[in-house]
Amino acid sequence: MKRLWLIAMAVAGLSSGLAQTVVKLQGFGGNDTAIMSSLVREVVNPALEKDGIRAEYQGIEGDYKAALLNALAAGTAGDLFYVDIFWSEPVFASGKVEALDAYFTKQELGVFVPSLLNAFSFKGKIYGLPKDFNTLALQFNKDLFDEAGVKYPNQADTWDTFKAKLKEVQSKLGDVAGMCVVADFARFGAFAYATGWKPFNAQGKTVLDANFKRAFEFYTSLVKDGAGKYAQDLGEGWTGGCFGAEKAAVAIEGNWIGGFLKDKAPNMKFGTTFLPLDPVTKQRGNFIYTVSWSMNAASKNKPAAAKVLRALTSPEAQNWILSRGLALPSRSALAGSPVFQRADKYGELSRVVFNGSTRQGGNVLPFKFGSYDGGDWMRPINEALQAVITGKKSVDQAIADAQAELNKLVK
Amino acid sequence: MATQAMKPRRKLDERYLARQRWARAGWIYGAMLALGVFFIGPFYVAFLGSLKDNPLEWPFRTTFAQVLPKNWVAAWKLGQQGAGNPWLGGFAPGANIPFEVSYFVPEGTEPTPPTVTVPERRAGAGLGAIFDEVQASRYAQVSPVEEVSRRPARIGDEAGQVVTYRFTISYPRSDPALDLPTAARLPLDVEAPRGQIFLTATLDPNRLERRGRVASWDSAAPGFFGYTFKNYVRVFREARDPNTGSSFFLRWTVNSFFVSLMAVLINLIFASLAGYALARMYLPGKGLLFALIILLMAVPQQAMFISNYLVLRDLSLLGSLWGMIVWIGIDMAKVFLMKQFFESIPREIEEAALIDGANPIATFFRIILPMATPALGALTIMTFQGIWNEFFKAAVVLSGQQGSYTLPLGLSFFRSAYGAAGDWGLMLASAFLSMIPIVILFVVFQRYFVEGVSTSALKG
Repeated sequence: MKRLWLIAMAVAGLSSGLAQTVVKLQGFGGNDTAIMSSLVREVVNPALEKDGIRAEYQGIEGDYKAALLNALAAGTAGDLFYVDIFWSEPVFASGKVEALDAYFTKQELGVFVPSLLNAFSFKGKIYGLPKDFNTLALQFNKDLFDEAGVKYPNQADTWDTFKAKLKEVQSKLGDVAGMCVVADFARFGAFAYATGWKPFNAQGKTVLDANFKRAFEFYTSLVKDGAGKYAQDLGEGWTGGCFGAEKAAVAIEGNWIGGFLKDKAPNMKFGTTFLPLDPVTKQRGNFIYTVSWSMNAASKNKPAAAKVLRALTSPEAQNWILSRGLALPSRSALAGSPVFQRADKYGELSRVVFNGSTRQGGNVLPFKFGSYDGGDWMRPINEALQAVITGKKSVDQAIADAQAELNKLVK
Repeated sequence: MATQAMKPRRKLDERYLARQRWARAGWIYGAMLALGVFFIGPFYVAFLGSLKDNPLEWPFRTTFAQVLPKNWVAAWKLGQQGAGNPWLGGFAPGANIPFEVSYFVPEGTEPTPPTVTVPERRAGAGLGAIFDEVQASRYAQVSPVEEVSRRPARIGDEAGQVVTYRFTISYPRSDPALDLPTAARLPLDVEAPRGQIFLTATLDPNRLERRGRVASWDSAAPGFFGYTFKNYVRVFREARDPNTGSSFFLRWTVNSFFVSLMAVLINLIFASLAGYALARMYLPGKGLLFALIILLMAVPQQAMFISNYLVLRDLSLLGSLWGMIVWIGIDMAKVFLMKQFFESIPREIEEAALIDGANPIATFFRIILPMATPALGALTIMTFQGIWNEFFKAAVVLSGQQGSYTLPLGLSFFRSAYGAAGDWGLMLASAFLSMIPIVILFVVFQRYFVEGVSTSALKG
């Protein structure tokens, strides 16, 4: 043991003896580890070599949120780390995350897509730079629409025309659902936002009002009116699963469906368009799913970490990721990247998903629910959706029950 | 008279007892069988799932392309033709692969030859998406599609004919001196007009797409393993270090063995020494020490992990396999087990050794330790198995350094990198591969397992 001690001390002494400042990055495990360590090695570290700074990425397998919260509490968190928008606010509110306004100028922050940057602002300060993002888009299987002799969905579709198209496909083909409907706010919410409804009103309460009900009625009627089937009834858990297996003609997913389809159905002829418009407001809604790079408030190398952060979100770094088709960039200027201009189906998918964050996306809100745990907040609504889709409750009953649950949660 | 009257009754009793015995045996065996099926069932389903193109397929089929001997033979031959490698296949310069497909064409439709393409295929998810692999599409040449035969047939009520087409995929080697690469796989798409129903091919396709129009193969020259155990091959091919290109899975297996064997070794030495000392040596405060050990056993690991983590951090052992070994090397439960075992050895044996002039060290190593083989065997097996499957501590110590993962962390990697994208085949395959050493260990050391359990149960 003593020798081990000595060896360990020697190793510790050696590493601290070097003049380089090491900035520790923490994020998701799995592929992110491979991607980020390559990015750091090829783009970030060469750019920072002259400053004597070296970044190191550490991916965390398993439950990232729990691991990060533990690490923040124990003082072992990295200098920079991922924060998922879904649970960002409680983390920002904890004071463990450094506000970035002191390290970046207004111009430097202005290059990011505004809706993304807003997603990480809390009480007027910016607590993270968007690493990449996703929104929802509508994917449709061209073969199925051709076979049914129905026009493809397009960006001028309203809920009604969209539903009519799906209904026709489902009735003409017989063995294919128009859409496979999931009882999940992460999809349904985009329709609710189209009506102008927001998760929290000015008083911070969740009110399932008439607008919400209109979206709810439309969404659940897809199954009842023969324009779609409940995903679980088709043996799938997400709309992309049904779509890839040609069990449904359309899917509502983000850019991630591209990778899935490359493996599952490489020959599928599919197109992508924006989500349909609310016939009343003539608006669409959308979510922004994103993850930030945030700085540890307890970090000892804040200026160095800011430099690394700049390099991680630089155009070079984002282009590196984008050109490999791994994620969408958070810089507005990269909207003109040749990747988005590609004529193929994946180019179209990326383009539409990217533009979902802009004004074309309509009422776009980040996928977060104030200071509440998103999972807890969404549960009553998901249960209501499921109860109506499976015919267990009426719309009014389900919404009333969900409202009662939410009243207990949202103080 | 009375005895005669008793006889048949006794006979009846015996028969009744025999029936009882058989019934009891029947119940016990029945229950064991049911339990066996209950535990083996999921393994069976998961194993079949790991072979399938779509492991989540529902309704579940037990017969599918990968388990048909016809496809094994075809995959073997195609692998041979593609790269001279019947096991793993591939597409090497000079390859010449004849391929046949058959369609059912309903009456009244003129058969149209299908379009054959060797597409460019990149993995969409997982580590495969990061690597650039050699694309067969750049080198493959497909001959014109020829019609081979037509014969009348019926499918259900529909009359028509079965038309068979043939084509050849070749990898021309224009100049023998040229160094052309070998592609690991030869993706193939065969598209026919809608209405022509795909029937069979030299090798069953991996999937039918676009409502049956396109038959698609991940590799038309897969080789036996490449077809039947596709996901297992991918575990080795795809899960590679992006920086060095070496296989992660092999690395993780080596790491797991290293950690497990080192920990077993350290445990064997320390637990037996400490156990012996506690059982036999005279030591002031021995009772207190033992009480402390018992107390340590009672504290849950989760309560200590943050302090252990901080200690390891200060020792700069985070992210290194030694950090994990240091943490799990000495287990109080094992010390306890050994102590209880040594106490069961009669003192007279040691006294005899003492009279013969053996010092305590010689007594321990030459007399006591050889007698303790069953306990040591049990200790080895339990430690090895426990550490092989250890996830929590590995996640705490090794997180973030993919090169130094152990297998349980590796499985978690497969879950997040592939499972999240709906590709569960790799996850199942890697889980099965990681199970093999433990199964072998169990089969070989089965006796010790049972003995170990009875030893510890008896004494503990």
